[in-house]
Amino acid sequence: MIYREAGQFKTSYARDGGLYPIRQDRYGLIVLLLVAVFAVPMMSEYWLVTIFLPFLVMAVAALGLNILTGYAGQLSLGTGGFMACGAYAAYKLATAFPDLNIVLVFLGAGLVSALVGILFGIPSLRIKGFYLAVATLAAQFFILWLLNKVPWFVNYSPSGVISAPPRAIFGDIYVTGATATPEAKYLFALAVAALLALAAKNLTRCAIGRSWMAIRDMDIAAEIIGIKPMATKLGAFAISSFYCGIAGAMWAFIYTSSVEANAFEISRSFQVLFMVIIGGLGSILGSFLGAAFIVLLPILLKNAPEMVGLSIPVDVIAHIEFMIFGALIIFFLIVEPHGLARLWQIGKEKLRLWPFPY
Amino acid sequence: MSQAEASPAGPAPGEVLLKVDNISLSFGGVRALTNISFDVMKGEIRAIIGPNGAGKSSMLNVINGFYHPQEGTITYKGETRRKMKPHQAARTGIARTFQNIALFKGMSALENIMTGRNTVMAHNPFTAAVYLGPAKRSEIHHREVCERIIDFLEIEAIRKTPVGRLPYGLQKRVELGRALAAEPEMLLLDEPMAGMNLEEKEDMCRFILDVNEEFGTTMVLIEHDMGVVMDISDRVVVLDYGRKLADGPPDQVRNDPDVIDAYLGVAHD
Repeated sequence: MIYREAGQFKTSYARDGGLYPIRQDRYGLIVLLLVAVFAVPMMSEYWLVTIFLPFLVMAVAALGLNILTGYAGQLSLGTGGFMACGAYAAYKLATAFPDLNIVLVFLGAGLVSALVGILFGIPSLRIKGFYLAVATLAAQFFILWLLNKVPWFVNYSPSGVISAPPRAIFGDIYVTGATATPEAKYLFALAVAALLALAAKNLTRCAIGRSWMAIRDMDIAAEIIGIKPMATKLGAFAISSFYCGIAGAMWAFIYTSSVEANAFEISRSFQVLFMVIIGGLGSILGSFLGAAFIVLLPILLKNAPEMVGLSIPVDVIAHIEFMIFGALIIFFLIVEPHGLARLWQIGKEKLRLWPFPY
Repeated sequence: MSQAEASPAGPAPGEVLLKVDNISLSFGGVRALTNISFDVMKGEIRAIIGPNGAGKSSMLNVINGFYHPQEGTITYKGETRRKMKPHQAARTGIARTFQNIALFKGMSALENIMTGRNTVMAHNPFTAAVYLGPAKRSEIHHREVCERIIDFLEIEAIRKTPVGRLPYGLQKRVELGRALAAEPEMLLLDEPMAGMNLEEKEDMCRFILDVNEEFGTTMVLIEHDMGVVMDISDRVVVLDYGRKLADGPPDQVRNDPDVIDAYLGVAHD
């Protein structure tokens, strides 16, 4: 198939403002979604549970951080804290209101995280850049400390571990808890991630997204043309934390089913930040590519020697894995500092001219 | 006020849109502005000139609320204000362009101009997330307005180009478009023609005069090219070392001995 937009005319601003103005892109996305919905659930439980679930969960977290850092330009290291906030809020909501629909539980968890995000976003009104990143560390450490210290958050469980109660959608299809099938969990996570990605794409192409980018690119000029810095920055923090909160709830309820606060410590924040940087700052697609890179590559590296028939001791593999992983991160950042999404875009532009570049 | 009076849709002459009264501004020990007073009539093109460091840009920053003067008052549309944030000033109809281009580098020309309409667009995250419906209608409506500005400024071909890739003259034009998108009553232009070649300067002059004539927009402009200033402005304020030297129509200012001294130096004889 030739990737070319020649002959595809846009005759209205509605068409021109469409999500995928190029027909080939539209078809590509439809095929991808069909594969994700129908073909992937046929795969083994190992693939679904250890590869696709963490990928989808982390992609949602990366979307959240990308809204804040990639679009609104506010550097944050509090992602893990906001994820923990969402996970525990979902747990408290689900146990306090056993009849509440799981979708509403997730939404509620997102809203609680959004409020917490606004609170910890207040320093952004005064400071920016690395200083803001350090200030958001407060969210990371304070939230985890609070969740570990106050037994009310874990319903006085002595181990400090929360276990996701089983919850169903559409009557009897369990999507969380121990009884849920991997297929149901995967499809539910896929639906949440796809809807949130669509919403993020829509947000970033509207007035609100443009005001985020204006604050990111030149905050003084943005204010002088009428953008309210406070509302815009806090709005970005709220929506970003909403996404991170839902990612945390997905982690606790869909991916692991039982979790303690330490699952969301500072290394989780860095992990999400690397996903956003490697995937591409200011790109929805980049959030998914970055999540795929960070989540899938270690698994691939771990299994690669076995696949090609080499038998290497497990501890050696672990070391090699780290070395190759680090080298690949450096390689990609040197080749394309704007991330995998930019590489993809360059590839598409090359393809548009192929085979007659001028 | 030849331009303003020539157009049928022109404003009523003699109506004061902006009045600055005894403005004094200092940064620590440095006095940037001292007792500056002047007024801007509705619909006129008002130039502020002066040597480097005279306080011209500071004056614009005071007008749109970026600097807060220690003394003096600003009366805009009959309302006297003391302290105002820049985004509030923007909402009262004051737009500006910058001496060093201040476009949003990560966005296309069209997106930059659309961002200029933020004061009249809704920022509802819920409708924006769904997109279909109110957000889409609003996007299309404002896109139409922006496309008229793009037509007017003759930048159709570059509307989807990231502004970082554009040459300097076009960036200045996109910046003017972004300011116009807010449909301002008063437009502050900080050296709109700096660094341009003759052709680009002529284009920019034409756009300034056209905007003034078609939309009746009041202009306050800072410019170093005396030929341009004398040709297009209705009245000129001259600043030097933060003080007002002269104020009046171009011909009067041109022959003012103080102004000649400030620009050419005083003869010591």
